[in-house]
Amino acid sequence: MSRTSDWALTAVLFASALIMGGSAIAAEDIEQKAQLCATCHGADGVPINKTTPVIWGQDEGYIYLQLRDFQKGTRKNALMQPIVAQLERQDMYDLAAYFTKKKWPNLGQPSAPSDVVAKAESAAKSIGCRGCHLDHFQGDGTTARLAGQWQEYLLSQMLAFRDGSRGNNPGMSDLMKATPEDDFEPLSKYLAGLQIDQYLGHGR
Amino acid sequence: MGSCRTAATIFGALALSLAGSTLALAGAETETVATTLTREAPVPSVSQEQLSGAATDTNNFLHTNGNYDQTRYYQGKQINKSNVSGLRPAWIFQTEVKESLETTPIVVDGVMYVTTSFNHVYAIDAKTGEQFWHYKHKMGPVTTYCCGPNNRGVAIYKDKVYMGTLDAKLVALDAKSGSLIWETQLADPELGYSETMAPTAVDGKILIGTNGGEYGIRGFVRAYDAETGKQVWNFHTTPEDSTGVWATHDATGKDMHRDIAAEKAALKKMGDPYKTLGGGVWQNPAVDLKTKRIYFVVGNPSPDLDGSIRPGDNLYTDSLVSVDLETGKYVCHFQYIAHDVWDLDSVSPPILVDVKDKDGKTVPGVIHAGKTGNVYVHNRDDCSLIRFSEAMVDQTGMWTLPTAEGAPMLPGANGGVEWSVMAVNPDLNLTYAVNLHQPMTYHVENSPYPGGKLWLGGAFKVIPGSEQFGNVTAVDYNTGKIKWQKKTPLPMMGGVLATAGGLVYTGEGDGWFRAYDAENGDVLWSFFAGAGVNAPPAAYSVDGKEYIVVGAGGNTQIDFKRGNNIIAFTAD
Repeated sequence: MSRTSDWALTAVLFASALIMGGSAIAAEDIEQKAQLCATCHGADGVPINKTTPVIWGQDEGYIYLQLRDFQKGTRKNALMQPIVAQLERQDMYDLAAYFTKKKWPNLGQPSAPSDVVAKAESAAKSIGCRGCHLDHFQGDGTTARLAGQWQEYLLSQMLAFRDGSRGNNPGMSDLMKATPEDDFEPLSKYLAGLQIDQYLGHGR
Repeated sequence: MGSCRTAATIFGALALSLAGSTLALAGAETETVATTLTREAPVPSVSQEQLSGAATDTNNFLHTNGNYDQTRYYQGKQINKSNVSGLRPAWIFQTEVKESLETTPIVVDGVMYVTTSFNHVYAIDAKTGEQFWHYKHKMGPVTTYCCGPNNRGVAIYKDKVYMGTLDAKLVALDAKSGSLIWETQLADPELGYSETMAPTAVDGKILIGTNGGEYGIRGFVRAYDAETGKQVWNFHTTPEDSTGVWATHDATGKDMHRDIAAEKAALKKMGDPYKTLGGGVWQNPAVDLKTKRIYFVVGNPSPDLDGSIRPGDNLYTDSLVSVDLETGKYVCHFQYIAHDVWDLDSVSPPILVDVKDKDGKTVPGVIHAGKTGNVYVHNRDDCSLIRFSEAMVDQTGMWTLPTAEGAPMLPGANGGVEWSVMAVNPDLNLTYAVNLHQPMTYHVENSPYPGGKLWLGGAFKVIPGSEQFGNVTAVDYNTGKIKWQKKTPLPMMGGVLATAGGLVYTGEGDGWFRAYDAENGDVLWSFFAGAGVNAPPAAYSVDGKEYIVVGAGGNTQIDFKRGNNIIAFTAD
């Protein structure tokens, strides 16, 4: 069987389990629910491929909003859509609360060389990325952590915001449209290579 | 499944009864709040009389902006021009939170209250810097805010301190112990509402505005009952008829290049945009106790840069507004910029001070420093404009319309003058503002209302390699002339304190905190704090000794070096 239909089958089984089991997830069930997420996002938090984002340690409000937006259809993804189809609002809060507490894995991506850093910093300072993503790109609340995410995923999302194929944040789309095309690869490499463990947890 | 759910319910009930101050919050789990109590703070009840008399109370600093007039003028003279060069740290308190710090310390009888990013509150001994208690707000998962996770401070009344939170709540804490007394959800954070401002306590009410002009909210100023947290009144900053008078020029007479015909056609098609028009109110209102009115300024329309989907003047965005303190009913307004497409809105708190009108007669006035870079002087009676000052910053290309490719214009989108609070020396008739010079290009893009997501309608971009700097400017509000101006190496963000010792204090983003001669701007004292001094200073006395205090924690919006310090200085 192909990979995609494996996941589709799993998604259907998961959805059926939810329908039979009722709505909000009880404490023990969350571990069970999270098993499904692990199939793509990684049982140890390291996703199965570089186009699937890290969700372990991601900002709580952001995780919640993505689940909500996948369900609403304001963010389109063929793999995520069946997964979220049966989720209640409380499930989304619970999943977000569960994954935000996990430790963001070290994907072992290299630190960007100084010329790439310079280009990325110039781009970031120009558009003001840190104004929302904060000074170590750790994000907060509904703003995503970017530091240490897959380089390929970061690049694809910036470009998707830019051309509108990712439609669930017009503000981000505007900012990406105002960013010159050759800034994106340096930005993605710079962000992917950031190690920020020592900056986390200062009061948040 | 059934037994699992029952077990979970029982566990939940047990957790509720054990936790004490537990609150059920809409849409999330039952949560507890965390206060670390080192020892109880010896704070007696703060009366309305005390709050009303704050301007002459040199022991305390009872309001975010010093007093209800918001003059930020401290009447103590112990630290003055002759001894300020000897100012040195009395203590340094380090909070747990190394992030943007915009708090004004509140001091009552030797107890200081400060807030940090992410809504921590500390009660500290104002003489020694030792901690009484530390409250850490249990933040909901959804926070949607602009310009940093910072907080500008508490309000204090009777035995409670009040704070607005990033997840759009108003909390009341016991001033002695820091325990949570009540919590009210002000609005839905998923729709872009948030709080970074300090509230104002007056007449048994807590007044608060809202963050969210970058997210398509409908802005408000509200009054809540200080005892119960129940809403007393609401004033919408965007009325149902927001179209106004179709003003083509701004308050200083510059053409804003509006296409009125196109806007009128758009209005016919889409109706009044008031529901998602923005109009956040970023900071404390001034309170006129005699007339029982409050004066505040309203922020930008949503989306910031794209006016095509919000035809009309977009009342009352970018305006000075006055409402009745008891009822919240509209009294008067003055709009600085109609149909703003540059985000050059009104955020620095207005100040009540007697001013000379056009005929030289002294009248009750209200002044405000705009992101435009001008200080505006109004008649308090009817909000009418008496004069505006000389421009404090370069305004080359002002009101160039944003384009898809980006059009350069000065001031940049941070102003002018940003949220930074001014201070007044009423003996010199001077008001002191801190400025920014940041060349930017303004870009416009069209998108429909995104249901609580970021909605700028374009982008502001700093022009790479361009020179940036700041100023400290003294403006004579009776003439509109700039009395003195001192350039600073970095754009300024934070606030000013003026004192009867003839001094003006303000800090800079690289860590410098300075005292200036109020009359001529000479730098009389400097201190390097190790992190951006981007918070407004305060002053107080304990056991007859005067202190100056300021937060040094940097700033997110403008990316100044982060820190976690509250530093108190004395002159011996």
